Amino acid sequence: MPTVVLMDVSLSMTRPVSVDGSEEFQRKNLAVHGLNMLFEHMASNYRLEFTSLMAFSSLWDLLVPFTRDYNTLQEALSNLEDYDKTCVESALQGVSNVVQQEWGSACPCQVVLVTDGSLGIGKGSLRHSLQTLKHRGDDKKFPLPFPFPTKMYIMCVANAEELQMTDAMDNLEELLRLSGGDGQIFSMEGPLCMKSVQAMFGRLIDYAYSPFHAVLHCGNLSSDVQVFPRPEPVVLDEEVEPMPRSVSTDLEIIGFIEIGDISSPPVISRHLVLPIAVNKEVDEVGTGATDELEEEPSASQMAGKSPNFCVLLHGSLKVEGMVALVQLGPEWYGMLYSQADSKKKSNLMLSVFDPGAEPLPWLGKISHLGPVSEAAENPYGEDDNKSPFPVQPQVKRSYAQNVTVWIKASGLQTDVQKILRNARKLPDKTQTFYKELNRLRKAALAFGFWELLKGVADLLERECTLLPDSAHPDAAFQLSHAAQQLKLASTATSELVKNGLIYNSLYLCGPRWRQHLFVLNIVRCL
Amino acid sequence: IPKMFSVSHKTVFVVDHCPYMAESSRQQVECDVLTKSRAQGVIPLAPVSKSLWTCAVECSMEYCRILYDIYPKDKLVNYIVSDSEFHILNSWRREDQSTHELMSALAAVGPPNPREDPECCSILHGLVAAVEALCKITELQHERRTTLMDTADRVANRGRIICLTNAKSDTHVRMLEDCIQETILEQNKLAAGSDRLMAIQQCDLVLVHIHPQGEDTLVSDRPKKEISSLLTSEVHSVRAGRHLATKLNILVQQHFDLASTTITNIPMKEEQHANTSANYDVELLHHRDAHLEFFKSGGSEHNENGLKETITLKWCTPRTNSIELHYCTGAYRISPTDVNSRPSSCLTNFLLNGRSVLLEQPRKSGSKVISHMLSSHGGEIFLHVLNSNRSTLEDPPSISEGCGGRVTDYRITDFGEFMRENRLTPVSESSHDPSGKLPAERAKAQLERYTRYWPMIISQTTIFNMQAVVPLANLIVKETLSDEDVLTCQKTVYNLVDMERKNDPLPISTVGSRGKGPKRDEQYRIMWNELETLVKTHAGDTDRHQRVLDCIIACRSKPPEEEERKKRGRKREDREDKAEKNGSKETEDKSWQDSERLKGLLDKDEQESEVIKDSPDSPEPLNKKPRLSTEEVQPPERAKGPVSLLTMWTNRITAANSRKHQEFIGRVSSVNNKFELYQQLKDENGMDVHENGKATR
Repeated sequence: MPTVVLMDVSLSMTRPVSVDGSEEFQRKNLAVHGLNMLFEHMASNYRLEFTSLMAFSSLWDLLVPFTRDYNTLQEALSNLEDYDKTCVESALQGVSNVVQQEWGSACPCQVVLVTDGSLGIGKGSLRHSLQTLKHRGDDKKFPLPFPFPTKMYIMCVANAEELQMTDAMDNLEELLRLSGGDGQIFSMEGPLCMKSVQAMFGRLIDYAYSPFHAVLHCGNLSSDVQVFPRPEPVVLDEEVEPMPRSVSTDLEIIGFIEIGDISSPPVISRHLVLPIAVNKEVDEVGTGATDELEEEPSASQMAGKSPNFCVLLHGSLKVEGMVALVQLGPEWYGMLYSQADSKKKSNLMLSVFDPGAEPLPWLGKISHLGPVSEAAENPYGEDDNKSPFPVQPQVKRSYAQNVTVWIKASGLQTDVQKILRNARKLPDKTQTFYKELNRLRKAALAFGFWELLKGVADLLERECTLLPDSAHPDAAFQLSHAAQQLKLASTATSELVKNGLIYNSLYLCGPRWRQHLFVLNIVRCL
Repeated sequence: IPKMFSVSHKTVFVVDHCPYMAESSRQQVECDVLTKSRAQGVIPLAPVSKSLWTCAVECSMEYCRILYDIYPKDKLVNYIVSDSEFHILNSWRREDQSTHELMSALAAVGPPNPREDPECCSILHGLVAAVEALCKITELQHERRTTLMDTADRVANRGRIICLTNAKSDTHVRMLEDCIQETILEQNKLAAGSDRLMAIQQCDLVLVHIHPQGEDTLVSDRPKKEISSLLTSEVHSVRAGRHLATKLNILVQQHFDLASTTITNIPMKEEQHANTSANYDVELLHHRDAHLEFFKSGGSEHNENGLKETITLKWCTPRTNSIELHYCTGAYRISPTDVNSRPSSCLTNFLLNGRSVLLEQPRKSGSKVISHMLSSHGGEIFLHVLNSNRSTLEDPPSISEGCGGRVTDYRITDFGEFMRENRLTPVSESSHDPSGKLPAERAKAQLERYTRYWPMIISQTTIFNMQAVVPLANLIVKETLSDEDVLTCQKTVYNLVDMERKNDPLPISTVGSRGKGPKRDEQYRIMWNELETLVKTHAGDTDRHQRVLDCIIACRSKPPEEEERKKRGRKREDREDKAEKNGSKETEDKSWQDSERLKGLLDKDEQESEVIKDSPDSPEPLNKKPRLSTEEVQPPERAKGPVSLLTMWTNRITAANSRKHQEFIGRVSSVNNKFELYQQLKDENGMDVHENGKATR
């Protein structure tokens, strides 16, 4: 989840902070100190996060585009200049543009807004923006909510009392609500000093940037891992299950499935699964990626040399072209697989499915997937040439079962023509003739379209008269029989006639059908 | 987030079956299309026309067809027909939810009887029955209420009534609304005292007034308005025929959050000229979230007429293969708008045959963006949404750079085999396991059994590198053993004893060993220890598993320090027994690791040069140690019983000499003074050990 740091560089940020004794700080210095702390934390514990830095006053400026180079970000912080007044709305518009340009509108994003809580005056102030919210045309919409899912963290270099004296806190709360409500407002506790700004950013780090550690289990084999980015809690149904579900810190493999069988499933998020060495002070995220710290080569080299289950699993998944199904919590599943990037590097990746008992219809309920060894006959075949997947639904979809739809005239015309085409080739096409005839009859009866039955009966009778002399005598016989039966269906009220089929008249000679004919005659008499 | 129990969970169709519905729609269909060659002298059949009833039924069936295609579960329809009484054609039950069922029921109803007394007939019978039906609990509501227990009130009861009728006037419509409102209040009182009924919290009435073509309507359109806190109502006045079809198509899209995609440029062979192909378009309906990205990036959802705009995606060649795992952010079931047109059925048959098609966004300029994929899974077609944005996970550190990344002799092939054995398969819900465990739990239990002893790297194991051990290793992990299985395991053990007697080489000395490996009998001791460790982790499962362990203990070679080892062994077993008696599953799960650790501690002094040190990547300080220490502590010959004076003398001389030089590897591990060169090539059976863990295979 990329992060945009939005730094207020308006004049009010240069207000001095009264510190007893020695040095004099501006609020800006405190903010920079806090951000430096955040960047340092990310560099060592959350290094794969893409972060960009934007400064804003009445205008906004993208100082550092999205990067994992935290030195560049820190350097930019040390070169901040001071500008005029605060204008949050235009800055947020800037965030919206920058994020969408880089990541599109589906990628969740975190916004860290650092300000002193003095939110501008007059036109362009946050107060003014919020007041005019409802009186805007489509071209001047307020940028919140962003099109992409957003977590908004508002870092106030001010204490809560100060913010509550004005309407600043109310406005910020409204801002958070407009962004979608996911996030938090942080303010400083106690006097404004380095220590309290550290504490505030410490809270942000704990809340949003602490690495997610878990243990990946496959029976008795296991590995400590970091899952990056952190898997977010998911709300399933606000009404039935309002508590968000979180991914468990024990990831349990259930079993394995071929890539072809899992078949590009939809996922709600993707994460790198990075093996970590526990009992180490510094976490192993991204170590070795580019520049290794010189101080502790032995420790990471040792970690590299002791066998790790993740590496074994990754290697075999890659070679076999399989995925591991993994349970993330109660009725929540995901898959582990080898993901290769273009540079010949590959990695163990976790894709998270929608929470629920049956995230992929073609696998059925995950809890009802069992070991192959239990099956009487290997469902994959002795030569590995079969598969028990995909699971077939009980009822076929309309496009798979030759349904009859006559909403457009062409649908009806095609069906009638098909019958006539076969009628002209009787008795060769007797079977298809009756099949098509019964399909039409069934639909006409369901739709109460008796007029059609009479019409088609007339058509068949006409075909009968048009038969050439050379025609097989059976052709005339079948045509008049079919016509008669259609007429019967269009007038009779008996369910027997409606739900039955028209049979090839020759069959009627059999003893079973003689009885049927007898019933039909009774119906006719009625 | 969509609600599970929104208004769209329950839809009641109430279709008017009164005599006036038998009236003609006055929209004529020419069904006798004469071909030119036959046209002479033949009088074509007069065109047929559908009744209002036929129009209502076929359009409602089309609504249901689309609904069931896209939501095969838990969006339910109850179909009611109303004349002098009401006829309920199906129930909320899942097995009743199909157009096939409804069509059969409709055939039994037949068209309205024009001779029936109009005074007795009314749509009201059906509407009252519809309210009653909405109070009836569905299977999903029942399941959810049962699982939620004390928060069962979170399960809401909402529904929609779609009434297809021919109303007399606006006043008549108002009367119908009032009647529904009153019935809801009445039924809600009844529901309060029943387990199988639920009070209605929200009901949306969609009244569609159908009138014949060319006739002025007496009922006016009215947008949705609130009648009460429980009831909303909207009125659509529509001409029968295709206008009605269009209206219901719009309604089904609104009611179920659908959107439309037109696949364009589909290459199809012409019926007449098989060698030429033309391009066709096919329109599909699906959940609107398949277009989320498009709407967000500023695409408009509606055109000027308020109709949903279809989004065009281009058929894309070449096709994709199924072995590719696409990053897919959503998959939505589709339903073709014109299901039995030739282009539609060509496309759906193509997909149902197991092929997938990538779809690209048509752009005037710039690179092509592939945003969707059509693919079928088990007879259902899905529109997959593919991620076309930059990934936030790009350029990650390679797995070979992290923990365990430098180890090169992982048992990749063996674990691949392990994965195949632990593949999953659907188990029918009806098959009940005596343990009461769900299949997935049983799959996990199998993984637990299979991994009780599973060394991850080749140089950490001897037995798993030996073909001779395979039969036992495959069987011992099973939950239960047959007598025949036990026999096979015993045979395996006897075979190993035989190998030892014949002094056959073990893979331990060649695989991954650089320096001089351990002596032959030491190798066997290592092998037996490992085998014992493996079987011990399963011995507690059943008596038959125990019998295999007993067999190994009875047959295995006795190491030199037999007495001492026995003592230690007893101690170890005692401790393991205790651990087992402690009984918790956890200790059992860890038993092999514990016993391994224990063994490690016990054997540390004498076994330092063993197993693990054989890894080519591990440091090898022991080989660099002065040789005398190890040799003198345990001269292997001591194991062979009484020795002659000559042997003792020879040994002493040899030992003294060997201190002065390093012995050739070949001589050390020779058999009868013969040593086969390039053994590893044969033993590895064509596999390149050092390539393990790399991507090359």
